[in-house]
Amino acid sequence: MQRFSLYQEEYHPSPLHFTWLEFKQNHIAVVGLYCLLFFVVITVFCPILAPFDPTLQSAGDLLIPPAWYSNGGISHLLGTDALGRDILSRVIYGCRMTFGISVILVILAMLIGVGLGAVAGMSEGFRSSFVNHVLDSIKAIPTLLIAIIIIAILGIGLVNSMWAIMLALIPQFVHQTREFVSREMKKEYVLAAKLDGANNIQIFFRSIIPNMGEALVVQATLALSISVLDISALGFLNLGAQSPMPELGTMLSEGIEVAYIAPWTIAIPGGTIFLMMISINLVGDGLRSALRNRLLH
Amino acid sequence: MSNVFVRYFNLMLITLVILSLFSFFLAYLFPGHPIENLTGVRLADISQLENSEFKYRSGESMLVQYWHYMSALFEGNWGKSFNSGLPLYDEITNVLPASIELSSYALFLSVLVGIPLGFLAAMKHHKFTDYSLLSVSVLGYSIPVFWLALLVILIFSLQLGWFPLSGRISLFYEIPKVTGFIMLDIFLSEIEDKQAAVNNVIRHSILPTLSIALVTTTLIIRITRRSVIETMNTEFIQAAFARGLSTRQVLFRHGIRNALMPIFPLLAMQFTTLLTNAMIVETIFSWPGIGNWLIQAIYHQDYPAIRAGMLAVSALVVIFTMSIDLTIRLMDPKRRRLKRAAI
Amino acid sequence: MSCEKLIHSENEKDGIIYCSEGSPSNFNPQLDTSGTTVDASSHQIYDRLLDFDPVSGDIAPALATSWLISDDGKTYTFQLRKTVNFHSISTFTPTRTFNADDVLFSFNRWRIPTHPYHDISGGQYPYTDSLGLARLIKDIKRLNGYRVEITLHKRESSFLANLATDFAIIMSAEYAEKLVARNQMELIDHQPVGTGPYKLMDFYPDRYIRYSKHQEYWREIELTNKLIFDITPSSSLRLAKLLTSECDVIALPAHSEVEVIRQQQSLVLNEKPGLNVGFWAFNTSKPPFNNPKVRKALSMAIDRNALIEAIYFDSAIPARNLVPPTSWAYQSDIKTVSYNPIAAKKLLREQGIEEGFSMTIWAMPVERPYNPNALKMAELMQSYLLQVGINVNIVSYDWSTFRNFLTQGLHDSVLIGWSADNGDPDNFYRPLLSCDSIKSGTNRAMWCSKEYDQIINQALQFDDINERIYFYSKANEYLAEKMPILPIAHASQYQAYRKPIKGLVINPYGGIKFGGVKKH
Repeated sequence: MQRFSLYQEEYHPSPLHFTWLEFKQNHIAVVGLYCLLFFVVITVFCPILAPFDPTLQSAGDLLIPPAWYSNGGISHLLGTDALGRDILSRVIYGCRMTFGISVILVILAMLIGVGLGAVAGMSEGFRSSFVNHVLDSIKAIPTLLIAIIIIAILGIGLVNSMWAIMLALIPQFVHQTREFVSREMKKEYVLAAKLDGANNIQIFFRSIIPNMGEALVVQATLALSISVLDISALGFLNLGAQSPMPELGTMLSEGIEVAYIAPWTIAIPGGTIFLMMISINLVGDGLRSALRNRLLH
Repeated sequence: MSNVFVRYFNLMLITLVILSLFSFFLAYLFPGHPIENLTGVRLADISQLENSEFKYRSGESMLVQYWHYMSALFEGNWGKSFNSGLPLYDEITNVLPASIELSSYALFLSVLVGIPLGFLAAMKHHKFTDYSLLSVSVLGYSIPVFWLALLVILIFSLQLGWFPLSGRISLFYEIPKVTGFIMLDIFLSEIEDKQAAVNNVIRHSILPTLSIALVTTTLIIRITRRSVIETMNTEFIQAAFARGLSTRQVLFRHGIRNALMPIFPLLAMQFTTLLTNAMIVETIFSWPGIGNWLIQAIYHQDYPAIRAGMLAVSALVVIFTMSIDLTIRLMDPKRRRLKRAAI
Repeated sequence: MSCEKLIHSENEKDGIIYCSEGSPSNFNPQLDTSGTTVDASSHQIYDRLLDFDPVSGDIAPALATSWLISDDGKTYTFQLRKTVNFHSISTFTPTRTFNADDVLFSFNRWRIPTHPYHDISGGQYPYTDSLGLARLIKDIKRLNGYRVEITLHKRESSFLANLATDFAIIMSAEYAEKLVARNQMELIDHQPVGTGPYKLMDFYPDRYIRYSKHQEYWREIELTNKLIFDITPSSSLRLAKLLTSECDVIALPAHSEVEVIRQQQSLVLNEKPGLNVGFWAFNTSKPPFNNPKVRKALSMAIDRNALIEAIYFDSAIPARNLVPPTSWAYQSDIKTVSYNPIAAKKLLREQGIEEGFSMTIWAMPVERPYNPNALKMAELMQSYLLQVGINVNIVSYDWSTFRNFLTQGLHDSVLIGWSADNGDPDNFYRPLLSCDSIKSGTNRAMWCSKEYDQIINQALQFDDINERIYFYSKANEYLAEKMPILPIAHASQYQAYRKPIKGLVINPYGGIKFGGVKKH
């Protein structure tokens, strides 16, 4: 990058800082980041933010429209559903369920996937080649399909769907780590570390991990968007979270029954999933192009 | 070359054997009696059958049972569904083509729209068109497909009344099943008004196709855009420019071919994504496909159906992805491994 | 809404698509009391000896042109209609018209346990078993080809009404013999042959049923060439398909959607107070639900008016007895429990039910007219019962498994109900709570009381309505005291269809009828 410098000494930002500077250039991505932070805040503080208990039913307040309708009320800002539950509170708790669970699943899948990937990347020969092929095939299969198949076997339920999605996410991380590790193992700085007498574990933690961090974050955002989509899709299909759990996809499928008389019961949960997906994807996109730009220059 | 072929063939065979073994053992893992789960016939009914062909299997070793299971699979005897009592082979050969058909329509549509738009974005790289296409595409692949399907139903079916919202052909048409692909079956059938039937199928297909094609279209725009940008930055393109060719000439003589070659396999790979999305959307549009059917089977804990459906779907996906992989290898032996979608 | 834009080819004008709510388990209503099976078979494929007039509710001639009742009320003689043709299907062509043999075959199948067809398709005849009809009938005699005599062991005033219900269908004896010869006896319930207005062409479970016109139908009424049942379990989807004219008629419009239908110019909504009851049955064979005080306390914990508002959207009336107000056995002055969680809690503690006691509420997986959304009702009840310190687990299976397990008595309590099959109040009192009906699987409370059985049997010994009312009011009081079930609501019956459909009427006794219905 051309930089106008008045003084002789050049300013060298750290790689991480450089990525951040690149990321900031992309205004839309920054908006996405704020949105994402907003969801994080909701997820963490939802008991404080939600005005009602999400499962509290009041038979007197059925299907109240949101506040902006002429017959809406201010006590239920986003209205109520067919059982008289406050939709705002349900959406807030729904964010915790859908988003929070997704974050946990991605972290778990990342830990397991990176571990397996590192082992696969450092081993050679038949094992590696066979693992390569199997991973290649699995990686081409959409996680949701794998998750549906796993649920078909394990049975319906939120916990089973979490297992299913986590298992389905792992191959992505294994694949990426294995590629990265086997590429890095051939590089000279690893050779230098080897010559210093470092064993494989030391090489992995001291030399490779620091280089892999950012790529892993990008992969994690991708996994996060997949995971949010999968959890809500399984909830929607009644294969994952079951009503009365406040899960966004489950809420959406409950709303279908009254979609014609109360369109907000499908508009609001669906819109929330959409917004969540956009913000994750914007951040992911922004990070990816920031990283790409840094590597180009 | 043949070496590669043999290796892939072996790999595919091993994977399929593993899948079939897995589906066989599922019958033992599921609740209930394994024989029930394999055949779909209730034990009480089996004991009523005089010449019980199932009896002898339970006493024998696992390996022999597996052998029987496999030979039954190849004979098309996949057992019966608990729920409907119909033979699973018939059911699956009914529903799987419906899903493949829907996914194919959507793939066709996405390629038709996505590639030109991808080129457009790449040619206007870092200009307004590019940015707006990119932002629209973020919206496009962020929208949950099941929500989109509900929205298009609300707008195009219920508000505007343009398209029907369920099934793939009106029940007034009786199309005998030959291939399971409705368009083919219409042509093979002997009904009077084929044109009307085809129109009816098209009207039924439009909304589900649109709902699942949107995500794939946006992905294809991005894949194409990236590939075109990379191609246009290569030295031979720069050299072509240096020789004084116009942008149009460069694009048509060198650009298109070189940009499309690496992404064709990526496009084909979108088929599995489409199939998955089709499986979800089917439940909304009551499309008689494998997704709708498998999910019903899961609700009803119809173990024989889950077992066979899982085997059919995973075998289809495995065979499909491996064949694509193989084709790429054969076309381009230099390529070490399939490059995945970079968006 | 501009659904008129949809293009209709000639093909579609000559058929009716009915969006039904589920797959029938077979095509013989003798074997299954569920409304789904009845709708798909009873009035489409078959005829009965007698019919109800859908408007007045009076008994009208059908396959029997006239009948005579002896003075002691024990002997019935029926004169049968001549030149009534059976369906001719791909595997069977009838060689003769309907006669007395067909009546004997159809009745003897469920009546005589040694009949060759008795055990085909399970050997359970829930409706006739629950009424004890097999034990009531002493003999059925063929006097000549077109005359049949039925003798009873004792007088029973509801007997004629029972013969006019959806379950007293007439099947073809000739077809049955053919099937015996071919050793395919079970086909009689799956590839049926009847005398009704439509014959079955094709059935794909969970997808569709196709019927076609019975060309030689004996009644001179309009029939449509193709009748198709499009099986659509979700009620919102049925409404959506009605709006886009993918269905011409829909089953069970949801109570929440009634307003939407009313506002549509292109749709017609018929409404009638229903002859049904939705209730909460306790499994009285299980402690602590065998204790009437516990049942009463649990009933007091529920606010039924709130349930009616939330589930039925006010298109139902709160139930006081088993029978709805349209029945002459209804009693408006009966004492019922009212919502009182504090008293309920106190009573529960007195009976030794501690805080944290947990029980199951089974909720039907399907919509029925008497309860459009049992799962939602169960969820609401869950929160009411939590207030009196009872934890509720909601249980649901697919419909046939569900009923199977209920018959085995695996439940603690269940949300279910009953739609009448005829206008006689006996049709509520006996199938729902008599000892006989436990085995036949319509007594969901598993309740057996000698005293109660005696009261309702006595009621049948009289033809005079006022005398019967005396016994039924005794039964009502007994039930209010013992509370084997908590009656919740009598729902209105709705029927929604598109304007071009003419001739469809609500049948108060369940069962939709497509004879005489045509698209114009």
